[in-house]
Amino acid sequence: MPDPLYRMARAEALRIVHLDSFIAVFHRDSGLTHLLAAPAPEIMATLGEAGLSRAALAARLAAEFELADLDDAALAERLDELVACGLVAAA
Amino acid sequence: MRHVFSVRIGPVGFRVGSAWRAPIAQLETLYADYPKPDVPDFSVRLFPARPWRRVIRPSVTIGGDFMLPDAAPLPLEQGLLAAEMGMNLQMALGQRRYLLLHASVVERDGRALLMTGVSGAGKSTLAALLAARGWRLMGDEFALLDPATGLVHAFPRLVSLKNAAIEVVTRALPEARFGPLLAGTPKGDVRHLVPDAAAVAAMDVPVPPALLLFPGYGFAAEERAVPPSEVFVRLTQASTNFVALGERGFDALARLVKTVPARAIDYPDTDSAVAQVEKLWAAL
Amino acid sequence: MSEKGEHEGNRGPATTRRRALMLGATGAVAVVSIRPALAQTAASVAHCEIPVPDPGRAGSYIAADGSLVPPGTAGAFPPVGKPLKGEDVKVALSGGQLPGTTADQSRAYTNYIRRLQSGTSGFTCFASLQMPRG
Repeated sequence: MPDPLYRMARAEALRIVHLDSFIAVFHRDSGLTHLLAAPAPEIMATLGEAGLSRAALAARLAAEFELADLDDAALAERLDELVACGLVAAA
Repeated sequence: MRHVFSVRIGPVGFRVGSAWRAPIAQLETLYADYPKPDVPDFSVRLFPARPWRRVIRPSVTIGGDFMLPDAAPLPLEQGLLAAEMGMNLQMALGQRRYLLLHASVVERDGRALLMTGVSGAGKSTLAALLAARGWRLMGDEFALLDPATGLVHAFPRLVSLKNAAIEVVTRALPEARFGPLLAGTPKGDVRHLVPDAAAVAAMDVPVPPALLLFPGYGFAAEERAVPPSEVFVRLTQASTNFVALGERGFDALARLVKTVPARAIDYPDTDSAVAQVEKLWAAL
Repeated sequence: MSEKGEHEGNRGPATTRRRALMLGATGAVAVVSIRPALAQTAASVAHCEIPVPDPGRAGSYIAADGSLVPPGTAGAFPPVGKPLKGEDVKVALSGGQLPGTTADQSRAYTNYIRRLQSGTSGFTCFASLQMPRG
């Protein structure tokens, strides 16, 4: 689909625990547990529940972080990973 | 089922029904000092797959409340092993009250040491050897973690020793009671160690976990701290009911990995392992 | 999108230095999902694997793809939780391979974490539970 909007799973459905360089996330809607390493948590937090296109997400990340490698293909992969595990929805 | 045996081990009650007397007689002897359950939580059935299998080359198929398909039966001489495996199976597939970790557990000074890892890592052997040195044996197969309290509950079944470990442990514990030597099982030679009176007497006393070890047998002595994320993933691999417990299981495991230090220890022989364990415990 | 007056290395009172973030190369992973325990199918039971003994884990290094390699292997990282010994640094430097950047190390580590899941899941080996046929 052309330029989908990505949004984070609803906040009430997430139980988050910080473990060293990973965060552990229990997703109540699926009953599944995921461990996230950078940049996944940052991407989720930036997307929020409102939803952003990939381009808008890239811009926000670049503004908020010192991005050494703004590679569109890499960002697409990171988003695909999050969509595949159910923590981000694409619409 | 003609022959029946019931036993309570820690917080779990089992009822074992068998088409043959022999395994029941062995269970009665070895678990003689254990209490009986009020109401069993799980049933195990030892039965012949076909009626004639009860008498012709008798072979024991393991059944119960929970069964695994495609499980090969065991010869009747290994009926005791079948009963023990049946109890493991009920716990692995049916336990929902406690988070299960595939680990041995020993206690000292009111705190628990958990040792986890793949088959052959030495969990049962090390637990037996530490018991010989005054630690309380809480279990060699499953650690039961209560999600509500974070405490570890004892589940002291017969300790299953395999192959070379049999001699090591029979030498270290000359006063202990052992089951029969079961030769030529699919896992090699197996012999069961009966937990001592102290272990059985204290089996209803849960304690907080204080140290988690990942032992690795057959390597030069080496040690490293294991960070929480790695402990978390390794323990999900060592738990049969983590996913089934949902958020309770997640919270219980997260709390454990954040509060209990973890170390991987490689050891060339059991003396070295025991020394490493005692040293790490003293340094807590 | 930097504001006027924001220079590298300078921290004016109204600006904060942004935290570094790497998106990672394509092919890297940032999410490890816990697979459910004991998939109760005949197929998974039949594929029970007893792990091939790997190099002593505690001392091993972690290669970029997350596999364990002997300590001091060029391009590999010491396991997290094990401080780099003096000799390790010397070996790494003399091999012409400098210790990795934080991002590379973290990518290797994530791969390592993911690999911990390969093989049987849920129970460290089905052989502990029952005897598969054939």
